[in-house]
Amino acid sequence: MAHSRNHIHGAPSPSPGIWASALATGIILTMLAVLIGIVAFNAFGWFWPAEITEVNLIDGSRVIGPAVQTEARPSGAGERTKFKIGSRDIDGRDFRWIDDDQIESLQSPSELVRVERSEYGDVFGRLTKINDTTGRSLDPSDTRALQAMLQHGQDLRRQRRNLLEERETIRRPLTRIEEKLALKERSANAQSPETLQEIDALEIRRQKVEARLLPKLDGTDRAVADIDAELERGLLVIDTGRGVVTVALADVINVGFPNDLSFGGQVRETLKRGVEFLVAEPREANTEGGIYPALFGTVLLVLLMTLAVVPLGVVTAVYMTEYARKGWLLNLATQAVHNLAGVPSIVFGMFGLGFFIYGVGGTLDRWFYAESLPTPTLGTGGILWASLTLALLTLPVVVVASREGLLAVPRDWRDGSRALGSTQWQTLRTIILPAAMPGILTGVILAIGRAAGEVAPLMLTGAVKLAPSLPLDGSAPFLHLDRKFMHLGFHIYDVSMQSPNVEAAKPMAFATTLVLLALVAGLNLGAIVIRRRLQKAYRGGEV
Amino acid sequence: MSSHNTTPTVLASENLDLYYGETQALKKISLTMPERKVTALIGPSGCGKSTYLRCFNRMNDTIEGVRLEGKVLVEGHDVNAREVDLERLRTRVGMVFQKSNPFPMTIADNITYGPRMAGVKNKARLEEITEKALRQADLWNEVKDRLSESALGLSGGQQQRVCIARTLANEPHIILLDEPASALDPISTAKIEETLAHLKERYTIVIVTHNLQQAARVADVTAFFMLGEVIEFGDTTTMFTNPANSMTEEYITGRFG
Repeated sequence: MAHSRNHIHGAPSPSPGIWASALATGIILTMLAVLIGIVAFNAFGWFWPAEITEVNLIDGSRVIGPAVQTEARPSGAGERTKFKIGSRDIDGRDFRWIDDDQIESLQSPSELVRVERSEYGDVFGRLTKINDTTGRSLDPSDTRALQAMLQHGQDLRRQRRNLLEERETIRRPLTRIEEKLALKERSANAQSPETLQEIDALEIRRQKVEARLLPKLDGTDRAVADIDAELERGLLVIDTGRGVVTVALADVINVGFPNDLSFGGQVRETLKRGVEFLVAEPREANTEGGIYPALFGTVLLVLLMTLAVVPLGVVTAVYMTEYARKGWLLNLATQAVHNLAGVPSIVFGMFGLGFFIYGVGGTLDRWFYAESLPTPTLGTGGILWASLTLALLTLPVVVVASREGLLAVPRDWRDGSRALGSTQWQTLRTIILPAAMPGILTGVILAIGRAAGEVAPLMLTGAVKLAPSLPLDGSAPFLHLDRKFMHLGFHIYDVSMQSPNVEAAKPMAFATTLVLLALVAGLNLGAIVIRRRLQKAYRGGEV
Repeated sequence: MSSHNTTPTVLASENLDLYYGETQALKKISLTMPERKVTALIGPSGCGKSTYLRCFNRMNDTIEGVRLEGKVLVEGHDVNAREVDLERLRTRVGMVFQKSNPFPMTIADNITYGPRMAGVKNKARLEEITEKALRQADLWNEVKDRLSESALGLSGGQQQRVCIARTLANEPHIILLDEPASALDPISTAKIEETLAHLKERYTIVIVTHNLQQAARVADVTAFFMLGEVIEFGDTTTMFTNPANSMTEEYITGRFG
């Protein structure tokens, strides 16, 4: 080696340090790819229309369902296969392991059907009987008639939903009076003569309004009852091999013949189910259906968090960089901000619970919502408290990044601006903040990334398994900051750990994970694009 | 602040002491710069000439731990007096820095920065200011078609002249230049010197320079600084041909510094 060093020619010998760091980078990238791969594979397994197999067993019995997994038998030779047999209302079982030597024959005829229903999960089997909404029998092999009936069922259900919404709108004046009445009756001085008088007056108004609204309400009720009757008449009867299952049209979510699909059809079906997953409400204690409320809650939470943390963080950073006197106090504050970033997130959750919910929320309740106590209005978890808690959690990230952005603005520009007779505030506004903007946005990106994936503090501050309504809707004041909300991260935990049917819901947890990953990546990407734009606009002609 | 005073001491200091913390950077400096002339401050690095220059528009305020004793007079007023409007002082006393520092904005926005910060909003007026300032800085013909392009896209010499024009747009009475050409090539330097030569008809100019030839070329009066003290102050030609002090002679003949 010493010899070759005397020559300037020849390949340079790479040092072990370079090898080690290259190896480490490679390992990390591989792990990242494997992580995304596992999540994506499991998630797409949930949407992919798997081939349904009919298994005839030696003992003469029969099961129908897609094969999920094959492994060596724990006892002795041979293999065994796990089938998802569905129809857990028959015998309480969704899956069944079958040893290879128990199988007489296997086939996958194209007429095997998968029926997704709103209760008790999927049904796999053969259609033996179809009744349309008039009660007339259809030919089970006539797929066109079947599709027409399913379409009709969907239309009916949409009509039903609209009717119910309409009914609620009609009834709103009445609901409002009832709420007032309930508050008065529960209030502390319910027995005082004035209150009793008020209650009586309200009761009279209630009866008047009710009498006025009743004909309209009855009309919608009758229309709903008609639709219900139609939906009950339409039904599918399926032979599952283990017994016959009847599904009313009201419960049918989807009917598919996966064995009959071409590859293109399978891909289309996967995409369709993927989209449905994003926009549908969850069913069956979150183990079926979609994740729309969780997705919505997460996005809204992150937006609110950003609205709270950006002004606070930037103002803090500006003060620390531009105005505060350098000295031990500033050093202490800087250290404190840095250390805040290392505090476990559950601690922030406890802070949110103690300070925002019990402290601020409880006080506001005593001041403004005293009549509904002890039921808390603001003194309970909600999207506002959760987003403020997350804002505190991500504050150090924004402050540190913004400070770095501000400190990186050349002194020349500051001096140049001041020497032209501008005030410190003008210099800050016109020179320093625009120049620091990419740095500030980097902080925002990091904060969003951190906040979107955070779950622990949310469990204490308002994320729930199932929220009755979205925090943003059509009724005034539209944005309901006091409402509880669903969250993708909490949803993953709930589905994979707390659901009644963990085995069946596992792929769905992966699908939700994929959505969360995509959401974080998407939010980051959006912020990066904005930052690029700003940088470009800022450098002007130079680029 | 009347500039038509009968005794036009535009720029002066009296017994000026300046300290960075415990270190004394300027010692009892008393100078009076002539009006509408170029005064050069020369001397070895660290002699305090830039610090002295920055006293006149109070740019030393931005440095922590700076303490002043004595008087700094601009147009007869003590700039360190309590009632001085710092922003107005700085529009009156413009400054061009050693390193050209155009803001990351268009050329036009750079030029109009000072007037805009002072509250001028009228577009036509701002355009007028831009053209006038760029013409005075001998830059108008080079950039008139690219006023809305970034100033950072210009050459080094052009950037420095944008900075000069930016200062002129404030319509100052006095211009302080802190080694304005030290980072430029000879051609750009020559152009800036040309510009200075005709600017002195209207402005009182003080220039700090390391380049003795430059001082000899552009300055009417020169002050030689060493270790925070003024060693010699007087007519440039006299100082360069027949210095009164032996240290000045050693410095200008290149024996040290």
